[in-house]
Amino acid sequence: MSLLQAHNLGVTYPGQASPALQHVSLQLGEGDLVVALGPSGCGKSTLLGVLAGFIAPSEGSVSFDGQPVVAPGVERAVVFQHDALLPWLNVADNVAFGLKLQGVDKARRQQVVADTLQLVGLADVGRKYTWQLSGGMRQRVGIARAIASQSKILLMDEPFGALDAFTREQMQQLLLSVWQHAGRGIFLITHDIEEALFLATELVLMSPGPGRIVQRLRPGFSQRYRDGEDVRAIKSDPAFIALREQLLRSLFAQRQAEAA
Amino acid sequence: MSANEHILTRVPDTLPASQRARRPLSPTQWSLISIGSITLLWWAITASSLVPALFLPPPGDVLAKFGTLVSSGYMDATLQQHLWASLQRIVLALLAAVAVGIPLGIAIGTYPRVRHLLDPLIEFYRPLPPLAYLPLIVIWFGIGELSKVLLIFLAILAPVLIATAHGVGSVSLVRQQAALSLGASRGQLLRYVILPGALPDILTGIRIGLGAGWSTLVAAELIAATRGLGFMIQSAAQFLVTDVVVLGIIVIALVAFALELGLRRLQRRLTPWHGQTH
Ligand SMILES: Nc1ncnc2c1ncn2[C@@H]1O[C@H](COP(=O)(O)OP(=O)(O)O)[C@@H](O)[C@H]1O
Ligand SMILES: [Mg+2]
Repeated sequence: MSLLQAHNLGVTYPGQASPALQHVSLQLGEGDLVVALGPSGCGKSTLLGVLAGFIAPSEGSVSFDGQPVVAPGVERAVVFQHDALLPWLNVADNVAFGLKLQGVDKARRQQVVADTLQLVGLADVGRKYTWQLSGGMRQRVGIARAIASQSKILLMDEPFGALDAFTREQMQQLLLSVWQHAGRGIFLITHDIEEALFLATELVLMSPGPGRIVQRLRPGFSQRYRDGEDVRAIKSDPAFIALREQLLRSLFAQRQAEAA
Repeated sequence: MSANEHILTRVPDTLPASQRARRPLSPTQWSLISIGSITLLWWAITASSLVPALFLPPPGDVLAKFGTLVSSGYMDATLQQHLWASLQRIVLALLAAVAVGIPLGIAIGTYPRVRHLLDPLIEFYRPLPPLAYLPLIVIWFGIGELSKVLLIFLAILAPVLIATAHGVGSVSLVRQQAALSLGASRGQLLRYVILPGALPDILTGIRIGLGAGWSTLVAAELIAATRGLGFMIQSAAQFLVTDVVVLGIIVIALVAFALELGLRRLQRRLTPWHGQTH
């Protein structure tokens, strides 16, 4: 059964003629990794904002575990591209931040932090400050922080968007292993086709003006990675390449339709 | 801050050998050069008798006066007593400005309505020269300590208020949203995310405010004071005791600079992340 359900969402920003989001429905279950793919301005962040409870939809509704979502909540932890960590806290305290807010006692916090840092490969940098880390390590801290809190799902807005290609690929694999171990549903936004294809259990392709879902597919490559297949083998598989080209073509077709 | 900051790229190995040997001057050395030059110029002008001592007393005289003022004083109080009187007023005004300015600045930065409400008042009084509203303060609050501290307080308040409001208003939105999604209540958001995020701005506001406070000291001590550096300078000016005037100016500058340095250190210690790219 799905945890998060979004039904027929629409968002029109004040003073804006056309909606930023229209007729968007999606579901996210415990083991799902739903990826929203689309060019800038197609409403991806708006959609995430609604799911997180930051933005009230003009139409439709979101529910989590049967309860309507009307505000941010601990069961839906958000990871942003950057700027979301607290530079005055060290890495361990950043990761413990959610638990501290929720009043979890210190001994338990330390245990969770140690486990989570281990999981994201940052066991040695707990005492460092976030501004002393590389971009990739900072994103690991962000992911660790979201997992350590008592979240049931993760909402990620272009979490690897600011990273170089090499680090990005490492982070995608890290995310899959975290997803496997932590057993959380993940909703992830990206404008990178390969990333979307590689990670998604379900991929929704979005299009701007108004922001909407134009295609849904179930690529299944992340499952193959979990089953032990090599990344390069997956990404160079003819099936992977064919899907990548098909998505690219439909993105360009959208562009041309708009221009016409 | 380092002296090398303005050099964008430096490739030491490409420098000619003659230049490579020379060590760059430290920031303190640069400062000492400017202070030394000014003092030398001052001494040269007075030594050449171009300007009468009434207008510009020689450095030696001022230094001698320092000894006299420390031991026997001027206008019934030693230099230390004048300094202490002024410091007390400044510190009292600063504490009050911080106690009022930070909470009010938070409210202005958080609630647009409070900002719209208070903005005209702040922008109305802020550019006024303290001497302009000094008479009103005396009429309303008398000639006691309250009026003196109030005048300095008003000068410090505006920068603290504006900097706090700006700092609170510019805390990154995604940082706040991420904290909310980790379960932060409104109060926790303020305490753990907004206030620490605004701290660099608040400290800068306090530094600027303190400077403004010192610059109203003389005006404040126009109000029937019997002690204080501002009072000392004014009385000396009335009797054309120029060396006491010059000495008073130097003491104010030194003390203000020492406080500024202390605050800068505090700022570096409390907000080491400030100015880092992330
Ligand atoms: N706060 C806002 N007010 C008005 N328009 C907005 C706001 N946020 C986003 N938009 C507009 O809504 C559309 C979708 O934006 P966004 O959800 O950020 O897209 P994406 O994340 O896919 O780049 C864009 O056209 C953008 O300009
Ligand atoms: Mg976006």
